[in-house]
Amino acid sequence: MNIENSKAQMKKGILEFCILSILSNGDHYPSEIINKMKDAKLLVVEGTLYPLLMRLKNDGLLSYRWEESASGPPRKYYKLTPQGEQFLKELEVTWAELVEAVNKTTRKDQ
Amino acid sequence: MKKTITMNLSGIIFHIEEDAFEKLSHYLQTIKGYFKNAEGCDEIMNDIESRIAEMLHSKVSTVKQAVVMADVESVIAVMGKPEEFAGDSADTKDSSQNKQQEDATGYTYTGRRRIFRDPDDKIVGGVCSGIANYFDFDPIWLRAAFAIAFFAFGTGLLLYIVLLIIIPKAKTTAEKLEMRGEKVDVNNIGKAVNEEFQEFRKKMNDLGKEMQSPENKERMRSGAQKGADFLKEILYRIFKGVAKAVSFLLILVGVVLMVALLATLFGRGVVAVSDGGNDIRLSLYEICAVVLPDDLQIQYVITGLLLFLGIPLLSMIYGGTRCLFDIKRKNKIVKYAGNLLWFVGLGLMVYVGIKIGADFTEQSGNKQQLYISQPAGNALYLDLKEMPKDDERKIDRHYSHNFYRGDWALISKGDNTFSIGYPRLDIVQSQADTFELFVIKTAQGFDKKDAANRAKNIEYKIVQTDSLIEFNNYFDIHAADKIRAQDVKLVLKVPVGKTVFLSKRMEGIIYDIDNVTETLDSDMVNRRWKMTQKGLECVDCQGLDEAIHLSHPPPPPVPPSHEHNY
Repeated sequence: MNIENSKAQMKKGILEFCILSILSNGDHYPSEIINKMKDAKLLVVEGTLYPLLMRLKNDGLLSYRWEESASGPPRKYYKLTPQGEQFLKELEVTWAELVEAVNKTTRKDQ
Repeated sequence: MKKTITMNLSGIIFHIEEDAFEKLSHYLQTIKGYFKNAEGCDEIMNDIESRIAEMLHSKVSTVKQAVVMADVESVIAVMGKPEEFAGDSADTKDSSQNKQQEDATGYTYTGRRRIFRDPDDKIVGGVCSGIANYFDFDPIWLRAAFAIAFFAFGTGLLLYIVLLIIIPKAKTTAEKLEMRGEKVDVNNIGKAVNEEFQEFRKKMNDLGKEMQSPENKERMRSGAQKGADFLKEILYRIFKGVAKAVSFLLILVGVVLMVALLATLFGRGVVAVSDGGNDIRLSLYEICAVVLPDDLQIQYVITGLLLFLGIPLLSMIYGGTRCLFDIKRKNKIVKYAGNLLWFVGLGLMVYVGIKIGADFTEQSGNKQQLYISQPAGNALYLDLKEMPKDDERKIDRHYSHNFYRGDWALISKGDNTFSIGYPRLDIVQSQADTFELFVIKTAQGFDKKDAANRAKNIEYKIVQTDSLIEFNNYFDIHAADKIRAQDVKLVLKVPVGKTVFLSKRMEGIIYDIDNVTETLDSDMVNRRWKMTQKGLECVDCQGLDEAIHLSHPPPPPVPPSHEHNY
């Protein structure tokens, strides 16, 4: 087993959840999402984000609009769709359960 | 100092250094390769490109205008290597429901290969390595082929020069990349065809959906529009296919004709002229030797023909190749040089034509009386002496090429070419009481004197053996005189009361002899003709039908013969 691979696999599963969470606080364009995730050390390379956004959009969880930018090309601002909000809520529940379950099973002092 | 390329990334113009561009373009292509099976590949690529554009934009300013390698490297570090985020796209593959359809119709990147000369692997101009790159084989075979073809009348050299001109050199890194773009092989062609077919199917499906959808007329109209677009595209593709086939044919025909032209001009090629069903073959040199004036070099003719016929052939090959390989870059210098050379060729041809024509300006001739001894009897026997049997046989054997035009012939005998003409004989009434034979020689030249000289040089022979006169069936034209409408006319004057006998063979020389019965030349032979006050009268024409038995003239007495040579 490759440790890097395992780490990446673990992160990947929660990336979608994090993206949806970030977008639930307001509309963002990819660079902003990336910066936030980088701050949180969730994301190593930006390239990962684009296919994810695409997938979420195609599944109807996200939508986007174009906005002119003062510098550089126009930006895509992503926002959650009602379906996405519903999806996020379910994920939040699942996440809370997971954290609890994982904490329980991995706690050493028990 | 470094060369920069102007690049449009997501609508923003960047000046980017060549090596940096190569790196970036390779990077983007690799990513594309990873995502090509993912849904929305185009959109992902657009997003990535616009993000890169944004990052690069922040790295250039008015003082640092060009994007350099370090910028690209840092961008790649931020974006991550394709293999680092490739797993995600693999996930996406089976995550979506409509993947199947999207996959089938999804855009796949085809970095179509284009033909360029390879400046990095060249012996002369990189033509062979360029072609070898395009078709993926070792250039050494092509080089060997060209080297061998070099000896086929220089065809290889010429073809090489043509290709050198047509195929553009891969100057920029982008072109070098295109040069090694996606392989052109059977699989690839199969893939391309499959793609087209999928596209076709998608369009048909779309069309079908449009038709079936219970929408209003607006939709129907857009359906019709789509149908029209679709048809247009099909027609365009068919047209393109036909154009490619035609261009291939153009190249093929052009090359074949070119080889023929070069063989004619530089080899011992032949010019075929049809003469009543017989093909007569002569080399250009043989014709020039007897037609061109002395002061006109044969090189004028060769250069003229080469340019006048060769340039259109070259442009045929050129155009065909451009179309076949989708070469866009134009070479204006070549175009103008080609046009100019063609006009030079035309000018040379006109010059040669005028020069030859000038040699036919004036006609002159002379009339001589040939001495003949009067026959013992009242009759003169006329026979035709054909070319010596030996000669004739040789001619048949070695030189099937004689060239008849009007009344002269060109005969090549081994390496020598000589020209001969055919005389004509007329028989008229003599005012005197003796047989008289006149020979009228005429020729043409640039002035009277020139023409008269030529006429004088014509050699014609008769042999008299007592009452038998043998005419040669040809006269010799002096080799240095060229062919200038030389002509020999013989006039035999027969006194009233005397007869001539025309042998069967005389048919080849007599021409429109007047007689009282208006008998045709071909019926006059094998007969005795008596000159009367009214003209020639046949003596033994009664019972024409059974009178074919006289195939030879009666044997004349055999006294020592003497020969006249004029």
